[in-house]
Amino acid sequence: MEQYPERLDGLFQALADPTRRAVLRRLGKGPASISELAEPFDMALPSFMKHIHSLEDSGWIRTRKDGRVRTCAIEKKQFSAVESWLSAQRALWEGRTDRLEQFVTTTSRKVQP
Amino acid sequence: MITSANPELDLTISRVIKAPRSAVWSAWTDSAKFAQWWIPAPARCKVLEMDLRPGGSLVTQISENGGPFMPHLRGCFLAIDELERIVFTNALVGGWRPAEQPFMTAIITLEEHPMGTDYVAHVMHKSNADRNVHEQLGFYDGWGTVAEQLARLVESRA
Repeated sequence: MEQYPERLDGLFQALADPTRRAVLRRLGKGPASISELAEPFDMALPSFMKHIHSLEDSGWIRTRKDGRVRTCAIEKKQFSAVESWLSAQRALWEGRTDRLEQFVTTTSRKVQP
Repeated sequence: MITSANPELDLTISRVIKAPRSAVWSAWTDSAKFAQWWIPAPARCKVLEMDLRPGGSLVTQISENGGPFMPHLRGCFLAIDELERIVFTNALVGGWRPAEQPFMTAIITLEEHPMGTDYVAHVMHKSNADRNVHEQLGFYDGWGTVAEQLARLVESRA
C-alpha cells in the first residue's frame, strides 16, 4: 500500500470490516435508509451507527436526514480517488486472473498428486 | 504483437501461474471450467455460447443472489491459437456483427515457463468516455465488486 497517499489510509481502513463492506455493497445498488441497511445485521442500532459514522467520516458515504429518516448514499468521488476507471477495469481483470490461477492450480494438484 | 499500448486506455496483467499451460488453456476454453472462475462467487456464471474460432460467439450470463440469469458478456473471438493465444472483443458479436456497445478487446497469451505458465492478459479499451456507457449499464453494481476486491487487497496485505 506504500504507493497510496496518506489521505487514502482512512478509506482503506474503513473497508477492513465485513459489516462496512456489506453496507457499501448494498449502497452500490442505490441509496438506502439506516433501518434498511441495518436490517440484515444482528446488531444493536448504536453499534451499527458506529459503522455508518466510520464510513461517513472516511468519506465512503454521505448521509442526509429527511424528517425522521436518515438516508445513506455512496460517495462515488471516493471510489474514483482510490480507483480510477481504468484501475476499476484492472481490478476486474486482476480478480479474474486470481480466480483462474486458483482454479487451475487446485485442479492440477488434484490431477497430479 | 502489441503494437500500440496506450497507458491511459490499456491494462496488462502478467503473471506466472504454477500450472501446466494445457490446464490454463483448458480453463479458458472448456465452458464448464470457464464458468467456475469467470465471475466472482457467490454470483453464478452460465456460458451460453463459446464458439472457439475467429468470428465465434462468446456469451455469458450472471446470476446474483440466486436471482435469474442476466446478460453479462456478449462478444466475438478474433483469434484462437491452440495453447498460445485467445483474442476476443465485445465490439463485435458472433459472426463479426458490430455490437451495440463496443468497449474492449482482450488478448490472452500463454507461454511455457519453468514454473508453469507465463500468463498475460492485455485489455484495450475504446476510450475513457466509455465510462459513461458503463455507468448506464449498471456501473453501480460493478462498484460492489470493486469494493470487494479492494477489501480483499487490503486484507491480503494487512
